[in-house]
Amino acid sequence: MSQLEPFLAFSAEVTAFPIVELQGTGQAESYLQTVEDIVGTQRLDRLLVLYQSLPLATREDIRQARADRLRRDIFGSDELGPIARNIIKLWYSGTWYELPSAWTEAYGPAPQDVTFVVAPSSYVEGLLWTAIGAHPAGAKAPGYASWQWPPHIPPFAGDPAATPR
Amino acid sequence: MTSDTPFDAVIVGAGVAGALIAKQLTGAGLRVLLLEAGPGTSQSFNGYSRHLQQFYGATSKSAESPWPPAAAAPQPDSSDLRNNNGYFVQRGPDLYGSTYTRTWGGSTLHWLGVSLRMLPEDFRMHSRHGVGRDWPLGYNDLAPFYARAEHELGVSADVADQRYHGVSFAEDYDYPMQRVPLSYSDRVLGAAVDGMTVWFDHESFDLKVRSYPAARNSIPRGAYQPVGAVDLHDDGSSNPPLLGGRCQGNTSCTPICPVQAKYNAGKSLAQADRRYLTMLVQAVASKILVDPANGGVQGIEYKRYQDPASTRFTTAVAKGRVYILTAHAVENARLMLASGLTGPRGQVGQTLMDHPALYAWGLAPLAIGAFRGPQSSAGIEDLRGGAFRARHAAFRFDIGNDGWRSTTGAPDSTVSEAVMSQRLFGTALRDQLANLLSRQVRMSLAIEQLPDPANAVTVDPQYLDALGNPRPVISYHIDDYTKAGMVAASGVARALFRRAGVQDFSESGNGSWFPSVYYQGREFHYHGMGHFSGTHAMGDDPQQSVIDPDQRAWQHHNLFLAGSGSFPTMGTSNPTLTLAALALRTADHLVATLQQ
Ligand SMILES: Cc1cc2nc3c(=O)[nH]c(=O)nc-3n(C[C@H](O)[C@H](O)[C@H](O)COP(=O)(O)OP(=O)(O)OC[C@H]3O[C@@H](n4cnc5c(N)ncnc54)[C@H](O)[C@@H]3O)c2cc1C
Ligand code: SF4
Repeated sequence: MSQLEPFLAFSAEVTAFPIVELQGTGQAESYLQTVEDIVGTQRLDRLLVLYQSLPLATREDIRQARADRLRRDIFGSDELGPIARNIIKLWYSGTWYELPSAWTEAYGPAPQDVTFVVAPSSYVEGLLWTAIGAHPAGAKAPGYASWQWPPHIPPFAGDPAATPR
Repeated sequence: MTSDTPFDAVIVGAGVAGALIAKQLTGAGLRVLLLEAGPGTSQSFNGYSRHLQQFYGATSKSAESPWPPAAAAPQPDSSDLRNNNGYFVQRGPDLYGSTYTRTWGGSTLHWLGVSLRMLPEDFRMHSRHGVGRDWPLGYNDLAPFYARAEHELGVSADVADQRYHGVSFAEDYDYPMQRVPLSYSDRVLGAAVDGMTVWFDHESFDLKVRSYPAARNSIPRGAYQPVGAVDLHDDGSSNPPLLGGRCQGNTSCTPICPVQAKYNAGKSLAQADRRYLTMLVQAVASKILVDPANGGVQGIEYKRYQDPASTRFTTAVAKGRVYILTAHAVENARLMLASGLTGPRGQVGQTLMDHPALYAWGLAPLAIGAFRGPQSSAGIEDLRGGAFRARHAAFRFDIGNDGWRSTTGAPDSTVSEAVMSQRLFGTALRDQLANLLSRQVRMSLAIEQLPDPANAVTVDPQYLDALGNPRPVISYHIDDYTKAGMVAASGVARALFRRAGVQDFSESGNGSWFPSVYYQGREFHYHGMGHFSGTHAMGDDPQQSVIDPDQRAWQHHNLFLAGSGSFPTMGTSNPTLTLAALALRTADHLVATLQQ
């Protein structure tokens, strides 16, 4: 079964970007492939199954429970945490970062685990630029004189800062 | 060995100095052979775009990342500095931190485009301040050439902003294009800083955040036609530019302007008269052949390679009536020395200078919109001149629009820090990044350096590149005059940040690695600005200088050395506009003499 759907669901929650925006980058398949190639399909499956087993956040108290489980079971796991953090960085900057050496010692070797930009387009599609109201250096230029105005930082669902800037 | 047909002029190096001279000479119907060491990949729009893709895909987005060198024409790379294992052989005691590009178009492919004139007092450092040496030319001699250079490079500025410290303009003059708009961040800082007073002894200076002249296309004045992207083809044909007529705010002037709204030397070469221009790329000049009887140059030997990945080459000799070295301040000196030409009193290669620069960085109290617009659009110029220069170096500030990119590796390092150290994810992460990154402020404090014969490019037969050409061996140290300037500059930066409510991170230890010098118990991390100069300085006295004011070698009547290597002192202005003005002046001289 394709892991794309759960991968996107997980990615959306940990990056705070909706699935449509993630898909809009055109990078989802190659990021999924990158993670699978480096840490192995089975390990990623385990992360995603665990993710899908989290309580659904329909009520405020459950929302908290879900966040706690996410933090403890996935981000707090020696094995899965570094992978989860790398998935965030993939989306934000288009770069796969070499996993911490403690991870490789315990769960490696992962021969393809070096720091690299997944593709020229993944640099251009990094989410961090959208998050900060800017554009990737060298691409998607906003146009002459746009820089003289205050930045427009897009609001997002669940934004903890209530007032839009 | 084969011998080429004679040309009026043989030019070595397709950078800005060489391009401007080639354009002027061919425009006057003189036949020019241009030798370029690097590949010609940036000549066509498609080739240039491949360099852009290379930048997108590079893990380190350094100034060199889009422009990897050919095996046969190596170049310095900032990532080699820490281990001192690059193209330069650095003898110390301090590290020379700057780089350049050996590709058709030269270092303007990755320059920032700051195009300041030198101050009148910069030409008279010895008579005015008792330090350094005087130029054989003054501001007024160069002023008309500055105006021409501003048109050749396409400089955007308003004269109204640029009259300070004695800089003057002809009455009806204005820059070819309007000033590039100040960034929001410049305006916020300016509102806080303008009018701030700085005292050096009994002299006071009022600071102002000021738009600087930039070789980036903006709104043209009058009939001026901005020049956009270059698209030359091997058969000599070219396409008109589709892009680059105006800066779009790509925020990557260094290392590569995607649309070529920023000047690069290819634009001048594209305007050269192709009927009179023969261009050879992948042709590394390796030796100047001189008649021992009279010092006249008889030819320039060069090594031609077919494949940028290989070091196989064939050797040939280029011949012309005159020879012009425009291979860059270091490469001009290296080529002379490799040919056994050391100049009067062995001065070739000596008095190498740069602008050692400090970073100051912090967090603004509100979102100022970092990472947008040209990498910088304003500076502080008020401390470039003054009586204090008798005691310590002058300096200028460049105010960045690209956050902490050059100081800490942001934005990627900020993402990593938030995810890895602070363990943030989801909305907390996104909120934190928006909050931190859009408030990042950075200034570069570029400090003047004086000519010192001990700071030198030399060659040593022990150290050869892959073609067997000697690599530059560099001895370099930063003296107390410059270090005292660092103390003054960092003090001003600190006060400025305090006044603007910017939380100062300069001393936080979160910066990337840079070389250090020590002074009065303090450590200063400095970086190079790419402002190599002084290696074949001009003068009035054939004993005390390498070239005359026309950039002709005193010892070789048909040899010219052009570029910032010709500067006796460098003041605080970025060198390219001045070297362009000198190149145009030399071109006039050459046209007048060669047409006789
Ligand atoms: C990151 C960075 C930013 C900069 N920003 C600015 C700025 O904002 N403002 C400013 O004024 N200056 C700036 N500079 C400096 C500017 O790039 C140089 O002053 C300028 O490009 C020098 O011009 P040039 O023609 O002398 O040399 P180059 O531009 O370096 O051109 C020399 C050419 O000669 C060729 N060559 C070298 N050796 C040989 C050989 N043996 N045979 C044949 N050809 C050879 C090279 O391949 C190259 O094409 C910056 C530099 C750097 C590194
Ligand atoms: S801001 Fe962008 S478009 Fe403008 S000159 Fe710089 S790189 Fe080119």
